[in-house]
Amino acid sequence: MGTENPGRPSFPARPSATPFAAAPPAVTPFLSSGPVAGPGVSSFRPPPAAPPNTLPSVSFAPPAGSDGSGFRPTPPARFNDPSVSSPPTTHVPPTGGPFQRLPTPSFPSMAQAPPARAPPVSPQPGQYFPGQVSHSPVSFRPQPPPVPMGSPPQRASYAPPGVNFSQPSSDSSFSAPRPNSQPSFTPVDSTYPSARATLQPPIPGYATMPPNAVSQMPTTASLFPSHQGSYVPGPPGPPPAASPFPAHQGGFVSSSTPGLHAQHSAPPVGVMQNLAEDFSYLSMGSIPGSIEPGLDLKALPRPLDGDVEPNSLAEIFPLNCHSRYLRLSTSAIPNSSSLASRWHLPLGAVVCPLAEPPEGEEVPIVNFASTGIIRCRRCRTYVNPYVTFTDAGRKWRCNICSLLNDVPGDYFAQLDATGRRIDIDQRPELTQGSVEFVAPTEYMVRPPMPPLYFFLIDVSISAIRSGMIEVVAQTIKSCLDELPGFPRTQIGFITFDSTIHFYNMKSSLTQPQMVVVSDLDDIFVPLPDDLLVNLSESRSVVETFLDCLPTMFQDNVNVESAFGPALKAAFMVMSRLGGKLLIFQNTLPSLGIGRLKLRGDDLRVYGTDKEHVLRIPEDPFYKQMAADLTKFQIGVNVYAFSEKYTDIASIGTLAKYTGGQVYYYPSFQATNHGEKLRHELLRDLTRETAWEAVMRIRCGKGIRFTSYHGNFMLRSTDLLALPAVDCDKAYAMQLSLEETLLTTQTVYFQVALLYTASCGERRIRVHTLAAPVVADLSEMYRQADTGAIVSLFSRLAIEKTLSHKLEDARNSVQLRIVKALKEYRNLYAVQHRLGGRMIYPESLKYLPLYGLALCKSTPIRGGYADAHVDERCAAGYTMMALPVKKLLKLLYPSLIRVDEYLLKRSGQVDELKNIMKRLPLAAESLDYRGLYICDDGFRFIIWFGRMLSPDIAMNLLGPDFAAELSKVTLSEQDNEMSRKLVKVVKKLRENDPSYYQNCYLVRQGEQPREGYLLLANLVEDQIGGTNGYVDWLTQIHRQVQQNA
Amino acid sequence: MAWAVLFWLLIFLMNLALIVSSFYQLLCLVDLEDDHLNPFEASSRINFWVVPEFLLQGLLCLLLLVTGHWFTFLAALPLTCYNAFLYMKRQHLIDVTEVFRAIKVEKRIRFVKLGFYVLFFVMVVFRIFAVGTILVYHSEFGDLDIRSSFLEY
Repeated sequence: MGTENPGRPSFPARPSATPFAAAPPAVTPFLSSGPVAGPGVSSFRPPPAAPPNTLPSVSFAPPAGSDGSGFRPTPPARFNDPSVSSPPTTHVPPTGGPFQRLPTPSFPSMAQAPPARAPPVSPQPGQYFPGQVSHSPVSFRPQPPPVPMGSPPQRASYAPPGVNFSQPSSDSSFSAPRPNSQPSFTPVDSTYPSARATLQPPIPGYATMPPNAVSQMPTTASLFPSHQGSYVPGPPGPPPAASPFPAHQGGFVSSSTPGLHAQHSAPPVGVMQNLAEDFSYLSMGSIPGSIEPGLDLKALPRPLDGDVEPNSLAEIFPLNCHSRYLRLSTSAIPNSSSLASRWHLPLGAVVCPLAEPPEGEEVPIVNFASTGIIRCRRCRTYVNPYVTFTDAGRKWRCNICSLLNDVPGDYFAQLDATGRRIDIDQRPELTQGSVEFVAPTEYMVRPPMPPLYFFLIDVSISAIRSGMIEVVAQTIKSCLDELPGFPRTQIGFITFDSTIHFYNMKSSLTQPQMVVVSDLDDIFVPLPDDLLVNLSESRSVVETFLDCLPTMFQDNVNVESAFGPALKAAFMVMSRLGGKLLIFQNTLPSLGIGRLKLRGDDLRVYGTDKEHVLRIPEDPFYKQMAADLTKFQIGVNVYAFSEKYTDIASIGTLAKYTGGQVYYYPSFQATNHGEKLRHELLRDLTRETAWEAVMRIRCGKGIRFTSYHGNFMLRSTDLLALPAVDCDKAYAMQLSLEETLLTTQTVYFQVALLYTASCGERRIRVHTLAAPVVADLSEMYRQADTGAIVSLFSRLAIEKTLSHKLEDARNSVQLRIVKALKEYRNLYAVQHRLGGRMIYPESLKYLPLYGLALCKSTPIRGGYADAHVDERCAAGYTMMALPVKKLLKLLYPSLIRVDEYLLKRSGQVDELKNIMKRLPLAAESLDYRGLYICDDGFRFIIWFGRMLSPDIAMNLLGPDFAAELSKVTLSEQDNEMSRKLVKVVKKLRENDPSYYQNCYLVRQGEQPREGYLLLANLVEDQIGGTNGYVDWLTQIHRQVQQNA
Repeated sequence: MAWAVLFWLLIFLMNLALIVSSFYQLLCLVDLEDDHLNPFEASSRINFWVVPEFLLQGLLCLLLLVTGHWFTFLAALPLTCYNAFLYMKRQHLIDVTEVFRAIKVEKRIRFVKLGFYVLFFVMVVFRIFAVGTILVYHSEFGDLDIRSSFLEY
């Protein structure tokens, strides 16, 4: 039994839970089911045994008892149960009802029980029935679908129980399901463990309950008819039911009513959505049948509120780290590998160790000083809120490997009566999921390195012409004061064209000295000590250099690029210290080692098996170099500017394996993209950076992280080497179960990032998270996190493009979605005819849409013509590092209409919020009289409708309003409207400072710009042979149904 | 006859070298997996041996072909072809950046290779003994004709 209910026990484990809440649920079920089983029907009355613990149950007990016959209470009990959430109560009545009536039928039904649940209860069907049945209501909850799709009438019936029964006609719609439903009903019992699990969360906070309750109510309703049909005698039941029922209703009227109304008034889908908004626990959605023309486009689920993080886990385990640091693809860890294999989505986590916390939620820094950092002797876990102290505070038990460790003398504290340390309030490491430890010298292999910035700048003719050098030099100069780590910061420069230029910036000089090396075959570094200097000492020399840099090469006509040798030189200069290497690259490397060929234009390769070769580095030099750079703690950021093919695939490799990122500005022109480059370079240089870092994620026994996805290099099987990390980088990993059966009820994860802070302190940032282990597949689906899943999906898909065709990558995404939905469908297929409905867990309602968006994203969309190979690769490298929220925004950009706001008289800032209403990304959302902004986090596309009033255009664009918009940039004009628009744009940019969103103006019908700027972003539409949202759903649905 | 013995001894030694090489590579991979070796070192150690191993195997194959030992040649051929195939596809070296992703496969390949070499080793040893016995047998019975005729050629 214990293993069957892992879900539930896990909750009690929750430290924060009040003793009351925790204990009862765990205990009662066992008691009730165990003993009950023996006594049989009569046992149902005992529920009172449970009641003592939980308030709700007590209240119900009376009706059950008074009724005498188990049967009547049934209906009410159902209702009560959910609402009250106390399993015990529920037990009694239902049991009596169904079983008494048809004992025999029930058994066969058992056989039909949904495969997933069957094991727990099934062993002793006969005996159990009483006990188990009681749970049935709960288990049914997952089936709300029947209701939505089903029939409003049923719902209605629910409110007045009587009606319910008098509705044979309504059933007719359901006629098919009926026969099934009855048998299915019994099986449900077996589900009981799962149900329990779900129930519990609510217990702690009563507030959370309503969702469950409500979601169940429909279920219940649906049950009624089924019963009724099967056991006509049912009628007697209703009256008693009625009485308890209203009472309940009162309990959660607030939440339940909206749902009900919605059901009546709105079409099925709408209902689901309404429910969805109201109740996070709703486990299923449905799309109205057939997906024929009747499919209501407006009703399809869309993430118009952006990424909504599931917070159920945080409620259960309030000591967990915040989801911005660590997100699991499902918060319910499967307890067996067979269960895991039925979860067809990626099982893993997305970690963003340095995510920017909002003001006031900074990660506390803990300094153990002489004590040393408290860690488990065996598994090296860091002390965290989930460790338990025993033996009067002298020992602590590791939560990951459960080894008993000694508490060092300096760290000792008495325990109070409840077993808590008396000093717990002064110990952030015991009360918060995220802390930062100051690491003593044992955690250093060398003295902490200073922040080091090295610039490798292309000065060939195209770099000069584009104006890139000027912008770069100005930007670097402007932020010299803001570079982190003053006064230890080190800086250095190398420029290159066909030769390599070193700059001696010794502090004793007044002007930098340039040394030119033209021997590319045998690179050596002249003046090895003076190329990398302390910024504060050589400040004036550095400034002089940056002032001269643009003019120094202004007459350069060199078209060659000795990138490889220059990179080697930079590596040799930096290898002593490590640091961050910023590469500004404008020309395809053409000289010396690492030269690359023009290979991206080959049309014929596309669609063949060799297509992927274009997306992997051509020359092993780059991989080798990347490995060497990582080894010496050098992180590379690549800024690429060329208008021609520059083989980002090869050059980006440097960033990929050194934990860096690729910034790509195709056809860079200082006038257009200067601001973007300035902003992003500034952010790159000034954001808080963790140097020479390594990261490891530990987890409890029985599970293991098997693969890692992102920009980094693995140093050992589970250690990520990250020469430079910052808040804009996230890493994904997949886990697998090593043991066939997990016996624990909770699994803990701990991310530890050991790094050198810019101030020179060595630190360890530790994030700890606990997640319940479940035995039930539907619970896994219910707790799924679409954001994390999509993040993993996209990384897997991008990795797949490196060895397969684009089409294969897209198909694999689709296939996995289909498999997951099919599995989910199978969970419920027994209970009702799903017919033309597509069902999916509430938690995954956006998954198909994101999957579609992913297939249309730059790295994996279309074929040769749909995106330039450089663009693809750059986007791929970027997406491999993006945190979840930004990725979701990139996949499903926000589209907002602004013209109405601009026309309004008063443009208060708070009104801005009102206009930030995201619209579905479909052409129907675009009104040809409107002005829209499409924001994907990387750029703004401002779309002018064809019939937009000329006033607006004139006000916004000034005299250029009639000109071709590709040549117009948005600048503030001297009028209210323009100022407002600029304000809106500014506001949008503030939301996401990691990148600078350039504004692209486009007019409706202006081809081809409109096509690739905006229309390609309208992921719900059919563009160039790709699926629209409806087709996509139809397709998925059809595949799900095959052999379902 | 003495030539034959010498020839088989040579093959024997080459085969031994191959076994040692693949065993060493396997060892490096195991060390890498157990975190006794970092990927940089492991891959450079392994990669150092890859090409010599391929060359040796090729040479061995060629020798067998030239000397007309068809059966043994055919036995050695598949591996040589596989090596050549890897080399042509430029996948013969371990990719240091992705070692851990490939480690399972690489280990299996080397394990199979080792098995192959050992089988081959058994075969060679058998041949040496066979040749040796014939030699001894013939010399014992003083059948100089064969030897002399052998020497003549």
